[in-house]
Amino acid sequence: MLLETIRLALRSVRRNVLRSFLTLLGIVIGVAAVIAMLTIGSGTTAKVRSDISALGSNLLTVRSGRPASPGQPPVRSNRPLEDKDVAALRSHLLGARAISGASQKTVNVVSGTESLSVSVTGSDTGYFDARNLAVIDGRLYSDAEIRSGANVCLVGETVRQQFFGAASPLGSTIRVGRMSCDIIGLLEPKGYTGFGQDQDNVVMMPLTTFQRRIAGNRNIETIYVAADDATPTSELQTRIEDIIRDTRRITADKEDDFNVRDMTQIADAMASATSTMTGMLSAVAGVSLLVGGIGIMNIMLVSVTERTREIGIRLAIGAHEKHILIQFLVEATVLSVLGGLIGIAIGLALAGAASLALSIPFAPSLAVVFMAVGFSALIGMVFGFFPALRGARLDPIEALRHE
Amino acid sequence: MAEAPLISFQQVWKTYGEGEARVHALAGVDMTIERGDFVAIMGPSGSGKSTSMNIVGCLDTPTKGRYGFLGVDAGRLDRTRRAILRNLHIGFVFQGYNLLPRTTAAENVELPLIYRGMASGERRKLAMQALGEVGLDGREHHTPAELSGGQQQRVAIARAIVTRPTLLVADEPTGNLDTARSHEIMELMTRLNADYGLTIVMVTHEPDIAGYARRTIAFRDGQIASDTLQAEAA
Repeated sequence: MLLETIRLALRSVRRNVLRSFLTLLGIVIGVAAVIAMLTIGSGTTAKVRSDISALGSNLLTVRSGRPASPGQPPVRSNRPLEDKDVAALRSHLLGARAISGASQKTVNVVSGTESLSVSVTGSDTGYFDARNLAVIDGRLYSDAEIRSGANVCLVGETVRQQFFGAASPLGSTIRVGRMSCDIIGLLEPKGYTGFGQDQDNVVMMPLTTFQRRIAGNRNIETIYVAADDATPTSELQTRIEDIIRDTRRITADKEDDFNVRDMTQIADAMASATSTMTGMLSAVAGVSLLVGGIGIMNIMLVSVTERTREIGIRLAIGAHEKHILIQFLVEATVLSVLGGLIGIAIGLALAGAASLALSIPFAPSLAVVFMAVGFSALIGMVFGFFPALRGARLDPIEALRHE
Repeated sequence: MAEAPLISFQQVWKTYGEGEARVHALAGVDMTIERGDFVAIMGPSGSGKSTSMNIVGCLDTPTKGRYGFLGVDAGRLDRTRRAILRNLHIGFVFQGYNLLPRTTAAENVELPLIYRGMASGERRKLAMQALGEVGLDGREHHTPAELSGGQQQRVAIARAIVTRPTLLVADEPTGNLDTARSHEIMELMTRLNADYGLTIVMVTHEPDIAGYARRTIAFRDGQIASDTLQAEAA
């Protein structure tokens, strides 16, 4: 009986293809939007998490400037971090796997007639350990080269492709800003971050070289500290704060003029911010589902009126109220589930396209798909109920007289 | 129960409206129709013939009085119970055929069986049989738009008899047909009455159509004006 009714409903949908399609559109758009948002959102969250863990596990960063207090941005200090801060951490900090000062600047890199704007970082060797960077071809700079400030550098995959195509860049010379430097190594490709930043469009060089030839000062922008497996990052953070306060001679009554940040916490915060955002956008998209539901109610009312005579015939030959109710309820539900299925297909296609364009993982969720089907069925039932009830309550004599 | 007449009206009143606007469509009608009878109901419009037919067909209930159908007090039954009664015992034929559009003849005929919860194979078999009885073999896959008026009315009759009802209620069954088609339909109904003992109650305003019935009841102003057997009239 139910199968029969579903077949009947499908036939009635087919009879008015254009009208059915227009009615479905609201549900299609709503479901497509929700599915796309949720799928892109979970992809982004996954990407953010993997990006941050790619920055290095158990990573802490030290920067100059007062720590952010709630509701206020971190205040830039005019007292930058210096070599002696890094040196103090090296000699006194317990529980660190790797420590490195680093500074970064976007600089124009030139080779032959080609040029590229590249993120150039000066660092110690500990930076590679702390940030999980690997050299896949050539070598890392030596301590001697760091001390002397040698004109050597490592390039990322994007830089290599721009200047050397498929060829090995090792042994070639490129101009970085106004200095020229010899390429001694190639970095392992890392792809894009969740925010669309190319992590392979980089040049690495010894921090001393960077300070002298690129920045023109002795400042250190960031100190990276990776905790060893036995030391919790919160513990390490306190120790770092104590040591730096000491080297910078900050008395007990003064506030820090630097801040230490735990990347794991940031990862959590960003992931939760992303999911909040996703949730909000999905909720907005959900409103169009409501609009779609009203569309279905409207068309079902039209359908009941149009088919008053049919209802009269059915009632006369023995249909019960509940038969008519179910018939129209099923029709509304079939309509909205159809819309839901089309919407899911479109939503997943959109999310797939978006994940290609933004290079985030495509993370469709079966639960979300089932939820969408269930929800569109629910919309059909809720918004189809009133029109169906109206049809079922018709007086057969009146209905048969209807023209 | 076997003793009870198929249809009995005892002081049946049907009143519409309130106060000043009150109209008595039926004003105390007493009437009995036995099983196997073929009754024509006549009368001018507003005489109460349609109202009484709706009550006979269990589509409507009296305001006052008792309507007994198969010995049951059908006038006191609720909507669902009357729907069951109609499905089991009553077939309907209307002036405008009232077939479902864009639905094949066979599917139209199957319709009342669907509401009995019958399996589709069984339904199809009975529908084909009923279509055969009304002389529409080979037309089962035609939709109403592909059939003539006479053929559509035959489909409607097949739909009415497919449930093997006790009573056939026909409302101006020849109203939309030409004379030749009308007589064919009436001959079909006469045959059904004779062969199966199907009780027929038919509303018409054409005397020659009423002539096919065994008994003619004429209504006027909500009351029975005359009740004649065909033999007497002839």
